[in-house]
Amino acid sequence: MNATSPALTMGGLPKGSARRILPGLLTLLAMMLILIVCGTIQPRIWSQGGMTLIMSPIVALAIATMAQMVLMSIGDIDLSIGFFVGMVTTIVATFMRETPLMGVLALAACVLAYAMIGALVQLREVPSLIATLGASFIWLGVGLFILPVPGGLAPDWLFQYAMWRPPFSIPVPIVTMVFATAITWLFMQRTRLGARFRSLGSNPTALARTGASLLLTRMLAYATTGFLGVLAGVTLTAEIGGGDVNAVPGYTLTTIAAVILGGGMFTGGRSVAWGALFGAVTLGLMTVLLTLLNLSSNLQPAVQGSIVIAVLAGRLVVERLTR
Amino acid sequence: MISIEDGPLLRVRNAVKVYGPTRALSGVTLTVHAGEVLGIVGHNGAGKSTLMRVLSGLETIDAGSVEIGGITTPARTGYPGVRMAYQEGSLALELSVSENIYLSSTAWMPRWRWRGVAARQTATRLQEIFPRNAIKPSDYVDDLPIADRQRVEIARATITNDLRLLILDEPTESLSGSAVDQLYDYVRKLRARGVAIILVSHRLREILSVSDRVAVMKDGDIVSVHDAADSTERDLFMAMGGEVAVSGTRGGAARRDMDGAHPVAVRIPMMTLDGEPADIFAHKGEVIGLAGIAGQGQEEVLSRLWRANRGDVDVGADLAYVPGDRQRSGILPLWDVAANLSITALPSLARRGIRQFDKEHELVTRWVDMLKVRGGARAAITALSGGNQQKVIVARAFASEAAVILLDDPFRGVDVHTKASLYQLIRSEAANGRTIVWYSSENSEMQHCDRAYVLRASRIAGELHGAEITDERIISLSFAESRETAA
Repeated sequence: MNATSPALTMGGLPKGSARRILPGLLTLLAMMLILIVCGTIQPRIWSQGGMTLIMSPIVALAIATMAQMVLMSIGDIDLSIGFFVGMVTTIVATFMRETPLMGVLALAACVLAYAMIGALVQLREVPSLIATLGASFIWLGVGLFILPVPGGLAPDWLFQYAMWRPPFSIPVPIVTMVFATAITWLFMQRTRLGARFRSLGSNPTALARTGASLLLTRMLAYATTGFLGVLAGVTLTAEIGGGDVNAVPGYTLTTIAAVILGGGMFTGGRSVAWGALFGAVTLGLMTVLLTLLNLSSNLQPAVQGSIVIAVLAGRLVVERLTR
Repeated sequence: MISIEDGPLLRVRNAVKVYGPTRALSGVTLTVHAGEVLGIVGHNGAGKSTLMRVLSGLETIDAGSVEIGGITTPARTGYPGVRMAYQEGSLALELSVSENIYLSSTAWMPRWRWRGVAARQTATRLQEIFPRNAIKPSDYVDDLPIADRQRVEIARATITNDLRLLILDEPTESLSGSAVDQLYDYVRKLRARGVAIILVSHRLREILSVSDRVAVMKDGDIVSVHDAADSTERDLFMAMGGEVAVSGTRGGAARRDMDGAHPVAVRIPMMTLDGEPADIFAHKGEVIGLAGIAGQGQEEVLSRLWRANRGDVDVGADLAYVPGDRQRSGILPLWDVAANLSITALPSLARRGIRQFDKEHELVTRWVDMLKVRGGARAAITALSGGNQQKVIVARAFASEAAVILLDDPFRGVDVHTKASLYQLIRSEAANGRTIVWYSSENSEMQHCDRAYVLRASRIAGELHGAEITDERIISLSFAESRETAA
């Protein structure tokens, strides 16, 4: 956290942008640092194959982080994303292979279900934490119903995509992650709906006074999260090759941590697609780093937690200094 | 030159709006013509904001009719051509200035590639209304000072294609002198173009200088409409209920003032407007007012006292704090009146950490009776009216053993009778030796203080004693700085 000195000259920047850019920038630095350390210990990660190897487990995490970021931008938190992504893998590994139409319909129903949760949160004033916590058990139940034990097989086109070798030796996972992030960023910053999401998180009264429907806005935000969650599930199926509802329950908390690392806030209003990507990659690389350092990867959650607390505390200090 | 019809642009007939037990509007009848500036004045709770919410289409009325430009039922975005600049709260702080403006004017912005358009329109309009402002469209609102936020709020309301009626709700509360002039120049320009303007303000002089007619509201109704050209501030005051006249029960005020025998209970180092060091202090048993325009550092003084951790303030005693925002930082909604009332007093009533219910009961009964809290001690706090909730919160502070009580504008939106009994309580508690530091956004409340400091930009603009504490003196001191700079 020693790079946070306010000596950075932000004279020409719009007021308030430094505070928004800085956290993501710091996370980017941390990510580079970890990559350099890993590369020093094991230089082979710098090849296309090596990079693909360490990055591909992170792709689904990065997209799930985008989903979490959208929800956190409206001031809500999704505690169900881990089991949701797991459930999507069970759908992709069964229906998508055997009856693609059924699969697509099932995935569309998942997105719709998310929109319904959004309606519940808005209309009944249920805290999003409670609503999504409840939903997580539904996802778990549905996932276990579809595939009681891990199994199934990803559709062939998914395998083909995972095996694709892009030109200029760019690793596929990076292409996927950057693409998903760029789309999310464009959507959140450049479209009316994205601006409405952020406005809902920052000041719902203001949004209501513009004549927009809070209910519709929240439902669409949840639907967007559900859509990105489905994408995360599809990429995870490609990675693990089959379906398992219990594949990534840890995503729930890791994605929240990644958004916070990237400059997001629990209180909403801030959309930080690129920062969240850097956060997700940083946290994802932690496993690699711990392994290369010959430390148990079981330490990862503890390390993650410490980092998040340190970041939040550090940011508080920085905010107090710069305000 | 929009007005082709001869009739008024806006016609309100016998509008009634009821919230629970309160009649916010009780039969308002009002007309506004195109190309006219109508001022609306009235004390807090007179129904001004309810009426404005009705006109902007945010509220529907329970009886009567509203017709604006021939339309009687508003769409979800309000009546066409009607825009309102709110006093606060309609900007999303996390968004940039131009994003805020885009969201509130989406109907007149392109669906795609709107960022450039919104930024240009924002910059143009801000420059048109407030020349030489320093706001960039890409600035994030939460980093803008309050005055700039207000400028954005006003500019936001005017960015539309078909402006016919502009409602300005206390637009100048947080603007400084030159910006106020710029705003009213723009209002006159709009009037010349045939736009109707409703201006709600507490600043009587301003409202008289810019309006054609001034309507005075009281208790949910319009009590009189004055021609601005031949009316004075005094006329408006009298129409509002003659609260310029002082009740005359302040014999004690001047006396305690020169009483050096009482020790100083509270001292906060401040600065005068000229940058010289000065203190805000309060003797034991004194009621000290913090006055001036809202948001000029009064709450800062209270929070410095309350925290008292930087070592720069002298507080020789326990403090109790009465918050102004009872919903957010006042009531404990799940508890009943008794529990809400006694919570600060609990430690002093307990014996070795064990609660003594008989003593608590005694205390609660005493306060509930004294302040006539409707519903009694066992009522759920949320079942009480706002005024009665506020009584409980004030009683909570006074029921403690704290020697210094901080009041953070606690009587906003409280009915007159409650206020009267609370003022009385404050005076009698002060007579018992308690020190009270009281911030109020309502200048007339300050007459219940022994001394009042008028703050401006977090500095002391002046100190008033006893009978000097009047609306006029407070207002003139509130603008001390802007007058100097304007001269």
